[in-house]
Parts: sequence; structure tokens; C-alpha cells
Amino acid sequence: MEKLYTFLKYTFITLWTVFIVAPFLWAVSTSFKDFQSVNSKVTYIPWLDFEPTLEGWRVLVKSPARGGVDIVEPYFNSIFVTCTASLVSIVLGTLAAYALSRFTFKAGFIRNNDITFFFISQRIMPPIVLSIPFFIFLSTIGLLDSLLGLVVVYIVLLMPIAVWIMVDFFNRVPKELDETALIDGCNPYQAFYKVVLPNSIPGLIVAGMFCIIFGWIDFFFAFILTFTEVQLLPVKVVALNSSITPWWSLSASALISVAPLIIVAFVVERYLSKGNLSGALK
Amino acid sequence: MAKIDLSNISHSYNPNDANPTFALNPFSMTWENGKRYAILGPSGCGKTTMLNIVSGLVKPSKGNILFDEKDVTNLITEERNIAQVFQFPVIYSTMTVYDNLAFPLKCRNFSKEKIDERVKSVSDTLRLSSFLNLPARKLTADQKQLISLGRGLVREDVAGVLMDEPLTVIDPDLKFRLRRNLKEINEQYKTTLVYVTHDQNEAMTFADNIIVMDQGEIVQVGLPKDLFERPKTTFVGYFIGSPAMNIFESEVSSEYSVKINNIEIKTNSKLSKLKDKNVKLGIRSEFINVVEKEGENTIKASLTRVEDFGNFKLLTANMDNFVIKSKVDRELPISIGDINLYIPPEKCCVYENEKLI
Repeated sequence: MEKLYTFLKYTFITLWTVFIVAPFLWAVSTSFKDFQSVNSKVTYIPWLDFEPTLEGWRVLVKSPARGGVDIVEPYFNSIFVTCTASLVSIVLGTLAAYALSRFTFKAGFIRNNDITFFFISQRIMPPIVLSIPFFIFLSTIGLLDSLLGLVVVYIVLLMPIAVWIMVDFFNRVPKELDETALIDGCNPYQAFYKVVLPNSIPGLIVAGMFCIIFGWIDFFFAFILTFTEVQLLPVKVVALNSSITPWWSLSASALISVAPLIIVAFVVERYLSKGNLSGALK
Repeated sequence: MAKIDLSNISHSYNPNDANPTFALNPFSMTWENGKRYAILGPSGCGKTTMLNIVSGLVKPSKGNILFDEKDVTNLITEERNIAQVFQFPVIYSTMTVYDNLAFPLKCRNFSKEKIDERVKSVSDTLRLSSFLNLPARKLTADQKQLISLGRGLVREDVAGVLMDEPLTVIDPDLKFRLRRNLKEINEQYKTTLVYVTHDQNEAMTFADNIIVMDQGEIVQVGLPKDLFERPKTTFVGYFIGSPAMNIFESEVSSEYSVKINNIEIKTNSKLSKLKDKNVKLGIRSEFINVVEKEGENTIKASLTRVEDFGNFKLLTANMDNFVIKSKVDRELPISIGDINLYIPPEKCCVYENEKLI
């Protein structure tokens, strides 16, 4: 029985791994093919099955001679917008979440939970509902088609995630921790940043990851709110497509688009698995 | 160190409701400098609320708190210079043991030498010296609680150390040693210690004075002996002592005596002025003796159970609807059947409306 269980377990893990890894391998292999290799018979192994070429990668860097598209600038635009918006969202969201977790707010029938729900409701709403208001808003303040405008919109989109995760996290940090800090002589701000915050690093990491992922992959608002001046990576990747689908350069751009997230995941995973972040309070 | 005065304090968690419920009913009390107090009571009786009011985590609905005659009611916690230890260990898990112990001094800008000296002294007392450089989160639960305690003791000038059932998570063996340690610390530094517990043995062995609370009310303040021999209410009688005090429904029959089930029992309390003739008679099982012959102040009852506790025997006897418990010497030869129990008048407590006369 136990052997069967082990067998099934490993079979499942193997299948799952193949399921996850196969598209990546496919993309890696495709990114080194040219038109011929993609459109003729199915091939797998470089040099043996097909002659690898860097053409797919080259067109991603601006080279007018080859009719390429520049994704380097959008790439850094995306990094800038995602990181700035995530950072601001985490800072503001954490402060908001701490307040919602520790203090009682009352305004008519509105209580803490209603405020928290208000934040979350921003994510429940279909994004299309917000597209026209955002468009009008940014064009009114003159930030349409600019990095700053995108940062503002992304903060609106990402902060609810930070608030949501951090409220839940702070609710699980016993209030005795803050009280002890107050008794030990901190003022409420010191209690927050000297004691509660260092204890909340796991929550901050999770919230940060979600912000980065959601910021990085957004296509919708990047598409609607930018035209020519500024472009973000997802929009540019889509723009690579033409009447003849360039599988090679699409694969290459897909790979470098996921790369930052994979790096983040590895760093965070190492950090979390050290066990330094758990078992904080009891 | 300070004398702590609580004057007309009361607290409600819903003061704006039409019918606010009070977690603490109005009371006044003084905690003398350098003494040990235990607050004893069942869960939810307002013990923790009282501590939180003193430390400033809760602002009382009414009343004033004075440290050495200085009104601190409106001061926030950090300005009160008080230490509080909670039921479950609270440690700063991202810091080392040393930094945990030093934190209250660092927050108050003490010099490095002074911090070193104090941390060393406290960690020696609590036997934490060998862990000082370890991350605090790596310690066991009881060591973590020692850190909490240490943070309370590290400040010499603290007005008082408030402890909210601090030894719940600690092994019985270590508990005993820690209680003694706390007593030594109190004697050495003359720190006012206030200790909340629902364990009467803990309270009795620790404190000079015990404050018994029930349902937001302070029912008795006194020495362990007073609480045991002269409980002011039937609640204290039930709550203190093991087994609980024997309490019988009875009727006043003459100036000094009551009748239980038509048996006349003499007491030392003057009962003639009582309006209500229905009273309760309380007597500790420790004071009820087994005698051979029937006589004055004896009750004839049938013994139904004998439990041997090693150092004493606990007898359970029935007389009609009444159950009488008596603690006797374990050497006393005894057998199931009818026995005579003598109730000494000087040990009888008579309660009118649950209050001692």
C-alpha cells in the first residue's frame, strides 16, 4: 500500500513537472529557431534537428535594418512602473492595514471591516468599469501616455492587494506585541516600525510579490492609457505579432518577460525557507 | 518604585450604550510601594482590565490613577514607566535575547554601560546569561516568558511590575522556582509586584496581600489567612480553599445560634439584629472534627466517601440534603457509616445575603 502511494506520488509529481516545464522548454527551443524550422516538420534538438539562430532574440533590440522592435525601453519602463507602484502601495497599504487592524473607525454605519471591504471591492470590480474614469482622469491632469500616470493608476490597482494581505497579517500579530512595546517605552510610531514591522516581514514579502506580479502582468491599463510616448512590456510584446506570427521572437520575449518574476520567486523562496520568518510570537 | 493609588476607578467597554455594562465597578485601592499583590478571580472578572488600566493600555471610564500622588490618568503607557508581563510570552522575535532585554532601556536612552550592567544582572537572576547572543525566537516557550519577565525587571526605576498570569506556560517545577525568584527580586529591589492569577495556591504563596475579584467587583482584600478563615462573601469561601468552604442554608434560632435541619449550631456572631432569618452558615472542612459522642455543636451524618490524599483524608458525609466535607488526619481510623462531626463556634462564618456578618 505504501509503495503504491509512493509510486502514485512520484508519478503525479513527474507529470506535474512536465506540465509546468514543457511550455518553457518549448519556448526556449522555439526562440532559437527561424521561419524555416518553425514552419517545416516538428523538430526538437538544436544542431541535430535544426540549426539554432539568434534571430528571434536580435529583433527584440532595436535594429531598423532588420525591421526589429525595441523592447528594451518598454522593459525598463515596466520595471520602473511596477517597482515604484508596488513600493508606494506597500508603504501606504501597510500603514492603512495597521490602522485598520489596531484602531476602531466609525462613520455612520461604516466600521473597520467595511473599509477593508471597500479596498477589496476595487479588485472585485471588472477593470473595464474603471477604464473610462481613469482615461478621463489622466487626460484631465495631463498624465495620459506618461510613466507617472501609469504609476498613479497602478497604485490604485495594487494598494488594495497590499491592504488586504496586510490587514489579515496584522490581525494575526497579537496586539500584546504592540502593547509590550508601548510598555517598554516606545511611542505608537516606534512600536510600529521597531517592533511590529520587523515581525511582519513575511507578510510584507507576500504582499510585495503579489503587487509585483499583478503590476508586471497588467496589459489592460497599459494598453488603454498609453499610445506612443510610453509603452510597457506586455503591450510591446503583443505588438510583435504580425500577419506572419513570429513564434521565435514571441518566445524570446515571453522568456525575458517571465525572467524577473522567476528571479523574484527564487530569492523569496530561499528567504522564506530559511525559517527565519516563522514562529515569531509564541 | 511607587505607591499606586486607584481612586474611584470604574470601567465599561461600552460606555455610550443606553445600558452600559461595567467590566469594573467603582472601587478605590492603594498598592503600597515594594509590596507584592495578587489579584485572584475567575476568568472574566475584570482582573486584566484592572491591570490594563494601571499600565495605561485602557483608559478608565471614571476615576483617577496616581503614582506617588501624581495623577497619571491621562498619561499614555510609554510615559508611565510601568512594566507588564502578559499571559503568553511576547518577545521581539527579530532580536537577540540581549536586545530583547535591553530594549526598554534603549527606548529610554540609557547609556551602553548601564544597559550592559542591567541586562547582565537580570539575565543572571533569570538564568538566561548563556542565551544572550541567541535569536530570541530560538528559545523554548518558558525561556521566552523569562525574557518577557526580564524586560519588566530590567528597569530599576519602574513604578511597578504587573503580571497577567505570567506562569501559565511554565513547567510546574520551574514555576515554583520562578515564584521564589520573583519574591527575592521584590525583596532585593523593593519593586511593587502585582500578580494576576486564577490559581489560589499561586496567589497564596506569592503575595502579601490578595485581592479577590468577582464579576467586576472587588470582594475582599486581605492576607491569605483572612481569606481562608474569614471569607467576606460566600463566593470567596467557594473560590478559596480546596475543597471549597462548606456552606449550609440555615435559619437564625437565637442570639448566637442558627439551625441547620433542626440541629442547633452555636456561632460567635451576634445574630439578633438580623432582619432576614434565613442565613448561610459557612465552615471550612479543615475545622470540622470527627468526635465520638453526640453533644453540643455536633452533627450526626452518614459518611459516604473517604478519599485518601496522602497527607490527609477527605471525608464526605450526608445529612438529609446537606453534604458536609471534612479534612482529617490521615491516621484517623474511620469507616463508612454514621459519624459525629463537631463544628467549632469560633470558626463559623454566618452570611446574610451572601455577605459575612
